[in-house]
Amino acid sequence: MNLEPVARPKSAEPWSRTTTQSRLLQVVASLVPILISAAAWLVLGVDPIVVVVFILLPLLLISIGTVGFLLKGKRGVPDAILIVMTLFLGTFVMVLLLSVVWSLFDAGFRALSPHFIYQNNVYVTPTDGLEFGGVGHAIIGTLLVVGLSTIITVPLGVATGVYLTETRSNGRGFVRVVLQAMAGLPSIVAGLFVYSMLIVTGVSQYAGWLGAFALVPLMLPTVSRVTEEALKLVPQELRNGALGLGASSWKAFFQVTLPAAKSGVVTAILLGVARVVGETAPLLLTVFPIAGTNLNLLEGGMATLPTYIYRFVALGFDTAIARAWGAALVLMILVGILFGLARYISRPKSIKKKKVNR
Amino acid sequence: MAETSSLAPVKRALRVKPATREDRIFFGVSAAAGYSSLVFIVLILIFLGVQAWPTFVEQGVFEFVFGTGWSSTDVQYSIGPMLWGSVLVAVIGVSMAVPMAISIAYFIEFMATKRVAGIATVFVDLLAAIPSVIIGLWGLTIFSAVGAQWGQMINSALGFFPIFSNEADSFLRTPFIAGVVIAVMIVPIISSVTREIFSQIDGELIKASIALGGNRESTFRKIILPVSASGITGGVLLGLGRALGETVAIFFVLNLIYDEFNWFNILEPGGGAIASLILGKFGEAIQSEVSALLAAGVVLFILTLIINSIAAFIVSKAQPWNNR
Amino acid sequence: MNKVSLDTFHLEARDINVWFGDRHVLKDVNLQFPSNQVTALIGPSGCGKSTFIRTLNRMHELIPTAGLAGSVLIDGQDIYDESVDPSQVRLKVGMVFQKPNPFPTMSIRENVISGLKLSGRKSQISDDLVEDSLKRASMWSEAKDRLDEPALSLSGGQQQRLCIARSLAMNPEVILMDEPCSALDPGSTRRIEETILELKETMSIVIVTHNMQQAQRVADKTAFFLADDNQPGYVVEFGDTQQIFNQPEDARTNDYVNGHFG
Repeated sequence: MNLEPVARPKSAEPWSRTTTQSRLLQVVASLVPILISAAAWLVLGVDPIVVVVFILLPLLLISIGTVGFLLKGKRGVPDAILIVMTLFLGTFVMVLLLSVVWSLFDAGFRALSPHFIYQNNVYVTPTDGLEFGGVGHAIIGTLLVVGLSTIITVPLGVATGVYLTETRSNGRGFVRVVLQAMAGLPSIVAGLFVYSMLIVTGVSQYAGWLGAFALVPLMLPTVSRVTEEALKLVPQELRNGALGLGASSWKAFFQVTLPAAKSGVVTAILLGVARVVGETAPLLLTVFPIAGTNLNLLEGGMATLPTYIYRFVALGFDTAIARAWGAALVLMILVGILFGLARYISRPKSIKKKKVNR
Repeated sequence: MAETSSLAPVKRALRVKPATREDRIFFGVSAAAGYSSLVFIVLILIFLGVQAWPTFVEQGVFEFVFGTGWSSTDVQYSIGPMLWGSVLVAVIGVSMAVPMAISIAYFIEFMATKRVAGIATVFVDLLAAIPSVIIGLWGLTIFSAVGAQWGQMINSALGFFPIFSNEADSFLRTPFIAGVVIAVMIVPIISSVTREIFSQIDGELIKASIALGGNRESTFRKIILPVSASGITGGVLLGLGRALGETVAIFFVLNLIYDEFNWFNILEPGGGAIASLILGKFGEAIQSEVSALLAAGVVLFILTLIINSIAAFIVSKAQPWNNR
Repeated sequence: MNKVSLDTFHLEARDINVWFGDRHVLKDVNLQFPSNQVTALIGPSGCGKSTFIRTLNRMHELIPTAGLAGSVLIDGQDIYDESVDPSQVRLKVGMVFQKPNPFPTMSIRENVISGLKLSGRKSQISDDLVEDSLKRASMWSEAKDRLDEPALSLSGGQQQRLCIARSLAMNPEVILMDEPCSALDPGSTRRIEETILELKETMSIVIVTHNMQQAQRVADKTAFFLADDNQPGYVVEFGDTQQIFNQPEDARTNDYVNGHFG
């Protein structure tokens, strides 16, 4: 018997063989409702949402349902309905979301220009065109405020993650509950807390460091949780190996566990930062947005990208809105970079061979 | 003569105690960090509680939480319409978001080819990262006009239902529009969680269903959904928590009315949200008003705490069969 | 004049060839599975037995990059014909998997009737059917007082018998079993083998097994699969179990059944 492998023939999938008739049916069933709907919209001028919900959807359900019935009998109809509804609902919301993204890029790019990135708004009035001013001061403000917040939160969060994974303390369950509660803290309440504790009481004026402070409880649960998960992924055998060789817990951690979890911890930090870089409410209550550039976190107002957006939306003029979109795009690019970095760092790596010096 | 000992061996407590000084420092520092979050949150709670207490006393807890009217001149503060408004907008948002989010997750896991699914997953995860202030900006400048038009059409067709009635001339700044904006905001989150749950369903169960003659729809309804139910609920409650705490986006698109409840007229231009109340009033708040705002913050915090706890409970409890 | 008697071949595979992507994994398999008999498929790991069994109830096509040539006939009709609905095939040809997979959110009773609900045959649901299916799967005495308890509260062997009951409730003509006892202890294995022997009175059974003693205990006929390196799997020999194990025609069969290679 000839046992050599035979090349796969062209028609190796009998289950996908459809008669020309059924294929034609499916195409027609999809196209006809679309054409009718397009006609209703373009020719008769019916409002698009009415067309989509009351003409396109019912027609698709009927036509695809009929095809399902013809191809698979009674059992084909529910399948057809499921497919149509899933695609319809999914597409509907994706259109809305894409509208957000589209506006972001469309309106945002129109506002972007080199000077937009580095200039501030000291000599700009709300109705000035976009040739003047920019978000330079807001970018710096965001970097400073979020930077300070990160400096405070990262050691705390990573150490908390370590505490939850590496020690066997009895307080761990309690701390987890507390972190869970902190994760539910509404961002405005965090800002309100700082506002009432330090501003109303007169301890400080609006200042950058207060905003950084308000962001800490919003960042901490994320950093701590992701660190904990990253450390949990390190196999216990690795730690045991180090301990078995006589290393102390602290040495085992720093020389074995932490390097193994390095990318996870970095991801934790990046995700924490990405979470708060777009937070608006806490900053609105603690940091006074100004038009100029202020590098002093301890006093004076400071513009940040989210509060910048807020302020110009509140102004309402066309130019102000245009400016807000520009700032929104810059903010989104920043978030995108952070997320991209986080994904890049946490991608599965091939094992690199290290040269051994003999 | 055999001597039987009646004493069972004494059990020794095995504790991992830091031995060297460096270890003690190591454990000490991490414990300190762990407890610092405890301290932090306790500080916040105490401070909020202490500052908010006078308001609860003066206004009366029940009157504050469920009454109407906010006036700094009369020193009378109530968040009833705001509390209800937060719930109403969140409910509208979540009920619209859930079917759409599950559809996206189902499409990615069970309908799309591998390549399309991969791209869609990354895209949805990125959408979940869009800051809410940007969605608020879109909601105000791009969507409001469209949403008002939809409201108008719903009203002209179904206006006899009280829920869709409209006495005012405008369909802008309504709970409906706020609800849609919230829905857009939380769909990516719910969808990501649901997709994750779907991907972890044991493939053997799906195979068993198909081997028994199940079609796509019955497999989805009778196998996929029941097995994912608690996880999806967790995701939905996560979205709900975010919806309740949302400040800026709602502030942009909703008209806040403090003096009366807008119970069900989602197409009327008026509603409430606690977070937006705080944002709106903090700037010129006098002392008693600050206390009232803090009290409102406490109520909101308690609300989100309850929801998060329920979510954690549901997710942890009913999953003996999930191989996590 | 010779009278030629023809066996009725209930289920028949003709010239089955299987590819995954461009890789040819099964070549020219021709097997007949008569009514009321148990057929065992034996052979070393990886030679395509499980793949082959999946072509018999159209589960093979669910695997990405799957390819197939040849035909599978049930009562003379090719199940891969364009006009055939795959889920109808699965009503006639049931399957029990290697790892017991009862539906976790359902009770025992609900699991037994789950196939009827999933395939839209609700009118056939009845308590009698539940009892009957569990009895045929040798599960009734253990399950009758616990019908509404979760299916996962059963042991592994019991869960597998529940899966058999679930397939039986569909009243199939053939049941395919892919190493049904490999995840179970010897006691449960024995119970299931007894069940198989009882079931063959009313249906055909095709069982993939690594356990040669099991094949000798339950199967009327046996097919021996083999695959050489980088070559597609194929059937070396097919015949009465007694003959395969005691007087194999092929030297390779002889080597395998005598344990000369795994």
